[in-house]
Amino acid sequence: MSVHPDMLDSVAMLALGVLPEDEARSVAEHLGDCAECSAEYADLRVAANAVGFSAELTEAEFGGAEGARLKARVMDAVRASGSPKVVPLPSREARGRARGPWLAYGAAAAALILAVVSSANYAVLRGKVDSDAAAVARANALAVQVANLVGPGAKHFAVSGGEVVTSGGHVYLAIRDLAAPAPGKVYQAWTQRTGSKAMAPSVTFSPDPSGVTIIELPQSAAGLTAVAVSVEPAGGSLAPTSTPTFVRPLS
Amino acid sequence: MARVRDRDVAAFEAVYDAYHRLVHGIALKMLADPMAAEDLTQAVFLKVWTAPDAFRDGNFGAWISRVTRNRALDTLRSRALRAEGEIPVDIPVEEALDDAVFALLDGERVRSALATLPEEQRYPIELGFFGGVTHEEIARRTATPLGTVKTRIRAGLRKLRTNLETAVAR
Repeated sequence: MSVHPDMLDSVAMLALGVLPEDEARSVAEHLGDCAECSAEYADLRVAANAVGFSAELTEAEFGGAEGARLKARVMDAVRASGSPKVVPLPSREARGRARGPWLAYGAAAAALILAVVSSANYAVLRGKVDSDAAAVARANALAVQVANLVGPGAKHFAVSGGEVVTSGGHVYLAIRDLAAPAPGKVYQAWTQRTGSKAMAPSVTFSPDPSGVTIIELPQSAAGLTAVAVSVEPAGGSLAPTSTPTFVRPLS
Repeated sequence: MARVRDRDVAAFEAVYDAYHRLVHGIALKMLADPMAAEDLTQAVFLKVWTAPDAFRDGNFGAWISRVTRNRALDTLRSRALRAEGEIPVDIPVEEALDDAVFALLDGERVRSALATLPEEQRYPIELGFFGGVTHEEIARRTATPLGTVKTRIRAGLRKLRTNLETAVAR
């Protein structure tokens, strides 16, 4: 016979995840001091976790073209998101001499091309073409990013200190003089799609030491209606927790 | 998951194939918005890819199910259609999700097990898990005293566990 049946009922609520925050923390703390409630939680949490499985869609409900389209979208994002791709631009002094962002992009492209050539020459000299091929490929990929930024099909959406750029289905943030986030904080990008009211989380990033970053977001540009950036705790957030640095409709 | 941690895209694809209908199903049921559900599905799997160490051990299906629910709760919170206090939180408690029951679970088995519960137990459990509401909101929506709701949910979860153990033992 339990000495505290009311608490056991609350433990069941915790297992199902239906308690408001204060009460949930209080009951969770109690579990550490009470073997009976801890055992009850372990038992009921199994059942509560199983409830989610009841929503599993069947092949007939979510397969075919619809399933293939989502899988392609996820796999594209995964392949693009090994880590946020940050293209360092030339020094602040060099940027100061530039007449606009596209001169800076051009300088970055030139630097990347030099990097590709240097890597290739070095590879030949060392006779280690295989190992250096990866470095050449990475530099080539960065060069493609810069080419996308300055290509004729690129669309530019101005934001404070920079631009959101869409090109060839890719989305980039190109921002100058971005203040370093406070310790323990990062910048996080957000995207909004047609028909969705919510902002979906994208990558986190920090500017390079000179305050400049160009970042490719893993999301496809197709169907995006807005891009935003906010300062979030390190590791990122699932929903914005601060007033966005900017929200830029892509129209 | 060990291969996913080693950045093996093929291994990740196998994980996606095995669990995307679970993740997308939960997202769809909680958000009732196909576009938002797709965004959430992508976000969950991107999290698996970019932070595979978030899953430590135990049953992956149970873990990703909870991750999906928690992300959906965040989305509901960001929509700000309800007061903050009306949306529950899922406090992580150290637990082993490696119960043998999970190894043999699938959607059909759980739906069958849930169907055997009395309506007065099944409905508040489903509303609590998928509706993203607190126990007090469940009581309000079902016009039932809070204490009764708690007792019914607890009894329902205990019976569900027994039913699932019986189902996977067959």
